[in-house]
Amino acid sequence: MNYAKKLMLFLTMALLVIAIQFSGSVRAHEEKAAEKEPYVAKTMDIYEGFPDWYSPVFKDNVGLSEGAGLFKDYYKPLKMQMYMSPMRHYVQMDILDHSLFIEKGRRDLCIRCHDGINTGAVDDWKGSAHFNPRKTDLIARKTKIIEESIGREIINVDCFDCHADTVKNEIRMPNAEVCSECHERQVRQFNSEKNHGRPNHIQAMEANVLVPWYAEADRRGWGAGQGGCDMCHGISTKCDPCHTRHSFSAAEARQPKACMTCHMGPDHPDSESYGESKHGIILEMEGEEYNFDKPLAHVQVGEDYRTPTCQFCHMYQGGGRFTHNFVSKGIWRMGTVPPSNIEYESSLKDYPYGINIIAPKIDLYSDENLDKRDKWIEVCSNCHSPRFATTWLEQLDQYMFQAFKITDSAQLIIDKLIADDILYPSVGERDIYPLGDKIAELLPASLIGDGVYNAFKQLGGKVPVVGPILGVYAMFYQGENNPSLIETEYAKMWFWYKLQGYKGYAHAQQDVMWWWGQAPMLMQLGKIQSENMRLRREHALEQGLEPGLGGAQPVSHSKSEGHKSAPTKSGIPVGNVWEVDELDY
Amino acid sequence: MAYLNGKKGISGKSNMFWKSFLFSAIVAVFVSMLCLGNFASAGDRLEGKDLYNKYCAPCHGEEGDGYGPLYGALYPKPRDFTKGQYKIRTNATGSLPTDADLIHVISVGVHGTSMMPWDILDIDQIKSLLPVLKSFSEAWQFRKPEASVVVGNELRATQKTIARGRELYQQKECFKCHGETGNGDGPSSYDLEDEWEIPILPYDFTRGDKFKGGATNKDIYMRFTTGMNGTPMPSFANELSDEDRWCMVHFVKSLGEKKTTKEHAE
Repeated sequence: MNYAKKLMLFLTMALLVIAIQFSGSVRAHEEKAAEKEPYVAKTMDIYEGFPDWYSPVFKDNVGLSEGAGLFKDYYKPLKMQMYMSPMRHYVQMDILDHSLFIEKGRRDLCIRCHDGINTGAVDDWKGSAHFNPRKTDLIARKTKIIEESIGREIINVDCFDCHADTVKNEIRMPNAEVCSECHERQVRQFNSEKNHGRPNHIQAMEANVLVPWYAEADRRGWGAGQGGCDMCHGISTKCDPCHTRHSFSAAEARQPKACMTCHMGPDHPDSESYGESKHGIILEMEGEEYNFDKPLAHVQVGEDYRTPTCQFCHMYQGGGRFTHNFVSKGIWRMGTVPPSNIEYESSLKDYPYGINIIAPKIDLYSDENLDKRDKWIEVCSNCHSPRFATTWLEQLDQYMFQAFKITDSAQLIIDKLIADDILYPSVGERDIYPLGDKIAELLPASLIGDGVYNAFKQLGGKVPVVGPILGVYAMFYQGENNPSLIETEYAKMWFWYKLQGYKGYAHAQQDVMWWWGQAPMLMQLGKIQSENMRLRREHALEQGLEPGLGGAQPVSHSKSEGHKSAPTKSGIPVGNVWEVDELDY
Repeated sequence: MAYLNGKKGISGKSNMFWKSFLFSAIVAVFVSMLCLGNFASAGDRLEGKDLYNKYCAPCHGEEGDGYGPLYGALYPKPRDFTKGQYKIRTNATGSLPTDADLIHVISVGVHGTSMMPWDILDIDQIKSLLPVLKSFSEAWQFRKPEASVVVGNELRATQKTIARGRELYQQKECFKCHGETGNGDGPSSYDLEDEWEIPILPYDFTRGDKFKGGATNKDIYMRFTTGMNGTPMPSFANELSDEDRWCMVHFVKSLGEKKTTKEHAE
């Protein structure tokens, strides 16, 4: 037999064998296709409807190489941020490559190993509706709705479904987008919070990383102290701050305690004010009789809840509907934004100084806010008379107007100190406004307005800023002599005590209203006034000590440092420098 | 056939034909398998030390000493291979495990621990790990694994054999570690350590099917017979007759069932 024949035979055989193998595999595919369309998971874009720049700075996964937000290049995220903001910062573990398990689809193996490591997590899951999607009749009905919406039968939802990225063959840390595969309606509702402006949950990360002090602290080596910020503000892309891992229980998230880890403390004592109010106390005393298993829309007031919960009031959308939008009825919001319904004497009259990335003044009586008020009265009227509810809300408004008037008096004092160049240490003698050297570089005039933009550009960050919201950095040290005592006292007044009083009124806790609210606010006003007197007296003394008689040169600390002093407008002193947008710079 | 007939039986030529036919067929199958195989499985197919380093070392350590980077997160702790002590075997107490024992444990895992079944690897990959494991301890140079114990006929579980097991449980003081009720909470349970002074817990029989070495009667019989090297669990091969060991098996299994019945009763 010659080689040609041999070769022919070989090729024929090879073709035959390949043909048989292929036909087998094709047939197998056809059979599968005939059975069912392969399931493809569909998830939503959590930032649907957001500006285009949002995803590249908040969402796109970069691991720990850079931060989030507009200052992303100026700080490095803490390592823990991979868990707090996994969508942007999660990095794979490097000790054990899990791709083999995902590639082979071995969902059964996860538990075999992890039951010995994360027993608590596994046990939580075993008690969850994910483990048993027909655990109760209600859960079975909900599961059926999900099955119909995603077009797939759900036996159970296991580690693999949430933690395995089958496209990249790697482990993922789930975020709200992963949850949206089955819980799209809830994630969409969560996303809708953006329609009502900040503060809200979905944009919570902005409050960390669109403010310059967060990046400034990192630049100064104090980044690690901001872990507390990340733990709450990471909620922007996660569901588990309320529906905790790995039970993801709706009943748990319906309880006020689900909110309290974040909604507490000196700037928003929601936990304290609600918890010690009659509403909270009755829940505390009779909690066992509350039925948290029921969806809010089916709660029979009185029968299921004797008093309202955070969720019952804040998730209410009117007309008996409840959704995962907590902010749609917010009128005063966090309580920091000044109302447009009162007259201001200080630079607060120009708030927000042309800045587009913070909310404008609140018009309490706008059509939108009047609608919201109707919904509040609707929810309160489940138990109270509408007159009681209306009167209560009016009393809250009166407190807030009054609190902003007190704030205005304090701000005017500091405005004048700046205008008279008496604030000590002066702006020229202290470190810059947080990240002030970069602000004009990073934030275009279209975002922060011409006045602010020009001020930062020309003064290189040596810009005096006090009051809501831009001056909140006065609550903590941001560099040598910045802020000074009087600014700290003022920040405490408007950021702590004003807001505490607000929550006291909003959640009906009498002691918080007064002793944590208006009383310390007035105490602060007194301190600010006497500090003002002291600064002015020392300034006068300093001038008197200057050599020469009658011809004392005014001492300018700002000028002595080569600082361009705060501008004046037709001889009238002005404070916060960015009301200068009408001035020629 | 006519073709063959023409060659007058099995001539050298026709022999050649069949040889080359067979050869071509084998080569063709091999080549096409190779091509198709590449479509089917992505990723590296590791063996031996590389495989060990990728999937075993995270827990057991690159040196095989049980101190892999995940050591801290695990309890029970990963096996230290440098001691040449293996718990789950089918041969006499103190012996090194047989190859079959090692392959078995790797393939089915160890219940109640993070050692999952590595049946995700193919048998040749698993076999390629054995020399790696053996390289960690000198014991393998000086000793040979003894032959597996031959398991005789199993005694059936009856009220009588269970009762005999209960009697032996007292007599052999099993309760000192495993507790009167088999909950693993006997008086000595609180201070138990293995040979490496790592605290260990006696098995809680009420957990039912989570026996480390497997939950079949034969598996449990093996533990009584071979002991668990490195732990206070001795072998009863010499102390108890074959029948008595089966009685023990049925008794400890009944402890797991008891819990279930009780739950139903309530």
